Amino acid sequence: MPLKSAEGLRWPASLADRVTDGADAGQVADAVVAIWLEIDQVLHPIIGQRGVAALYNRSLHLAAVTYPWLAIDKPGFPVQVDPSALRSALAQRTAAEAAVGGNALFHAFHELLASLVGASLTDRLLRSVWTHSSPGSTAQDTSL
Amino acid sequence: MTTKATINRLATRVPGLDEVLGGGLPEFSFNLIAGPPGCGKTTLAHQIMFALATPERPAIYFIVLGEPPLKMLRYQQQFDFFDSEAINDSVRFVCLSDEAMSGDLDRVLVRIVEEVTARNPRLVFVDSFRSVVIANESGGSPRTSLQLFVQQLGMLMTSWQATTFLVGEYFNETDANPVFTVADGLIWLRQSVQRNSMVRKLEIVKMRGQATLPGLHTFRIDNAGIRVFAPPHVVATGSAAPEAAVHARRALMGVPALDDMLGGGLPRGYSLLVAGPSGSGKSILAAAFLAEGARCGETGVVAAFEQHPNRVRNPVLIDLIARGQVGLIDSREPDLSIDEITLLILTEVRRLKASRVVLDSLSGFELALAPTFKTDFRESLLGLVTALAHAGVSVLMTSELEDRYTDLRFSPYGAAFLTDAIIVQRYIEIDSRLLRVMAVVKVRASHHSNELRLYTIDDAGICMGAMLPEQEGLLGGRPTRKHVPGLPALSGGADGA
Repeated sequence: MPLKSAEGLRWPASLADRVTDGADAGQVADAVVAIWLEIDQVLHPIIGQRGVAALYNRSLHLAAVTYPWLAIDKPGFPVQVDPSALRSALAQRTAAEAAVGGNALFHAFHELLASLVGASLTDRLLRSVWTHSSPGSTAQDTSL
Repeated sequence: MTTKATINRLATRVPGLDEVLGGGLPEFSFNLIAGPPGCGKTTLAHQIMFALATPERPAIYFIVLGEPPLKMLRYQQQFDFFDSEAINDSVRFVCLSDEAMSGDLDRVLVRIVEEVTARNPRLVFVDSFRSVVIANESGGSPRTSLQLFVQQLGMLMTSWQATTFLVGEYFNETDANPVFTVADGLIWLRQSVQRNSMVRKLEIVKMRGQATLPGLHTFRIDNAGIRVFAPPHVVATGSAAPEAAVHARRALMGVPALDDMLGGGLPRGYSLLVAGPSGSGKSILAAAFLAEGARCGETGVVAAFEQHPNRVRNPVLIDLIARGQVGLIDSREPDLSIDEITLLILTEVRRLKASRVVLDSLSGFELALAPTFKTDFRESLLGLVTALAHAGVSVLMTSELEDRYTDLRFSPYGAAFLTDAIIVQRYIEIDSRLLRVMAVVKVRASHHSNELRLYTIDDAGICMGAMLPEQEGLLGGRPTRKHVPGLPALSGGADGA
């Protein structure tokens, strides 16, 4: 299980696992969105759809400080995670930019969640996402 | 062959709670944890869940409304019992806020059924079931819905063989009687606020199928979670009584002449009250009592409630504590209850296999208690003394006694009748000197001396002196010389025997 304790190593690794060398921006965007859907899948049973959506939007907001092109969070109360805007924003960049931006967003999210519920619980909750299994499988199905 | 259903009891491992519950929680029971906001309902539910949940006995915690799940996880993980590794394994959190927000109770029930069917949990928690109904209150009659909701849930969980806990906010018990009827168990948490002290109390209002301990039981929440303080008589059972060999001999006081006055020392298992005014040497006698025990290879426990916290000033005692022959209970927790102190003492007695206990002093003890317990001080003290007697230890309690020369008093609490033996110390004035006298007032079921003897205190401790046969009216504080020809005049000095 690639459980590295150094912050920031997990998400690039997770993304790198899914994107082959020479992928274009569209493929990177798909991989990022797929991870977000998994995160949503894992977390929304526990903290609610609105809870995940609120964290997602806040992460976009935080990541947009460094990467202004990520400032795509919609105004108003977020009801659920909607990564379609993220997908199109990523697809418009180069593949390298998309990968860096996508990682920055994951990093912001991870930091935010860890600041709220602690690093160990964050790791526990998101373990199934970064120990990448086949796309579409959810954390819920693996543990019981 | 019996065909009766066997009700297994689950040990919650919440300290004290299983005793109060009368042996744990009945399996498959349907329980309510109720109380006002901030009284520890969610904490209790989590603590029970993490203690009971295993991969073979998984738990689902439904978070309805109220606390946002992130906040709940943030705060609950501060407790030692919280185990991140158990989450998504033996413990599963399920957020139902979206369903609850819709205000449709059926949707909430459907989701619960779905999850329970999918996971087959043995433990189910719904926190807070009350908010389900509050969300629903805008449309229709809330009470009927609540009762229906709880009834359906109860039926469902019983058929799924799940031990269930509904957590809900209630401000008073008459609030929702219909719901309480459905439940097998009702655990009520309270906070009693008096002046600026707050004491948490727990009551098992109802627990079908077993005898619980009635009344309010204090509890405390700290990093380890909830600790319930069961009544002293329950805590004392199972205490290892000191060995029979120790029992045979009386406990010597460390002041030989005083042992003689007691008829050969303090009988084992007795409680002794040492009453006297400030500075009369009560604590010194208590230290001598423990030191004598240590000399004979016994261990002891001292509960100190002195005005100077964190500082026992008696060098003998400091030495005994440092050598581990005496355990010190120096609780600076605010808002103490007698049950809590009793538990602390008995735990220490068991740890050290102690045979001697000193409470120094009752006055300080009373001051350390939360105001709400002060009215019941005598009753509670009786419980403490009985529990210690049950544990087989010999107890020495000191009591500050305001010097009154008009009456013979031993204790401001009427504690005298609680104890098996009493020693009283007084000041008297003779020849412009303040002298001390001591007498054994009572030793239950034993011969004892009736002498009123002078004593002095020096570096070696207490030194018993002579009687003052030529004086009378000593207890009035101002004795007068009897006219007995032939007796030498009293020098007035402390004439060690």
